[in-house]
Amino acid sequence: MIPLLILAPLILLAAIGAVWMARPVHAALMLALTLALVAVLYLALGAEFIGLVQFAVYVGAVAVLIVFSLLITRRGDEAEEIERRPKSLITGLLCTVPVLAVLAYSAIFGSNIKLIPWEAKLTIAELGETLFSSHAPAVLALAVLLTAVMIGAALFAREPGKTPEDPAEK
Amino acid sequence: MTPLSLMLTLSSVLFALGLLAVLTRRNAILVLVGIELMLNAANLNFIAFWAFDSPTAHNAVEPALSGPMFVMFSIAIAAAEAAVGLAIILMVFRHTRSTDLNKLDSLHG
Repeated sequence: MIPLLILAPLILLAAIGAVWMARPVHAALMLALTLALVAVLYLALGAEFIGLVQFAVYVGAVAVLIVFSLLITRRGDEAEEIERRPKSLITGLLCTVPVLAVLAYSAIFGSNIKLIPWEAKLTIAELGETLFSSHAPAVLALAVLLTAVMIGAALFAREPGKTPEDPAEK
Repeated sequence: MTPLSLMLTLSSVLFALGLLAVLTRRNAILVLVGIELMLNAANLNFIAFWAFDSPTAHNAVEPALSGPMFVMFSIAIAAAEAAVGLAIILMVFRHTRSTDLNKLDSLHG
C-alpha cells in the first residue's frame, strides 16, 4: 500500500508531462519516465519478472524507438517542432472526461467484491512452467507474430526502389 | 479506499490521459505515445487484480498466473504494435515530409 501511495502521484505527474509537454522529445522522455515508474510499481507489488520485462521492453526498446523516430522526422526548424496547443483540446476533454468519470466511478464504487488478501509473489520458475506448458500455443503464435512484424517493419522502412548492393558483383 | 480501488483509479486516469493525447496531439508519433499510455493502464489492471486478490482461493484449477500471463503477452504485442506503427509513420514521412496528422488529408473527400 505504501509504495502504491508514493508511486501513484509520481506516475500521474509523469503521464501528465507526456500528454502536456510541448516539445515532442520532452513528451517522449516523460513517457519513458512513466513506463519506468510503472515498472517500479510492478516490482513493489511482487511481480518482479513482469517489472523487469516492462523495463527492458518498454523503457529499453519502445521509448528509445519513439525518441529515435522523433529525431529522424525532425526537420531542423525549432519553431515548427514545438507543438502548439491545438484547438481540439476542448473536444478532446469533452470526450475524455466522461470516459474518465465512468472508469473512475466503477473503480471506486464498483470494486466491492470479496477480496482474499494474499502475499502476491511471482516466481520465475512457476511463470516459465506455465508459459511453456499450458500457454505454449500462445507463445508459438506470438513468435510467428513477432517474426511477421520484424519482416513487415523492415519492408516498410526500406527505401523504395533500392536493393542492397550485392558484394559479389564488385 | 482499498489498494485495489486506488490502483484501478490510477489506471483509469492513465487511460484517460492516453486518450486525451490520442485525441489532441497532432504529431503522429505523439499519438503513438498516447496509445502506449493506454496499453499500460490496461496492464496495471491485470497486475492489480492478481496482486490484491488471492487467485488460488477461488477454486482455480490452473496456477494463479492469469494476470501476469496476460501482461507478458500484452507487453510483447505492444512492442510489435509500436514497431509497425513507427515504420508506417516513417514511410508516411518519407512521402509527405511531415508527421503532422492535419496535413495528411489526401484521402479527404
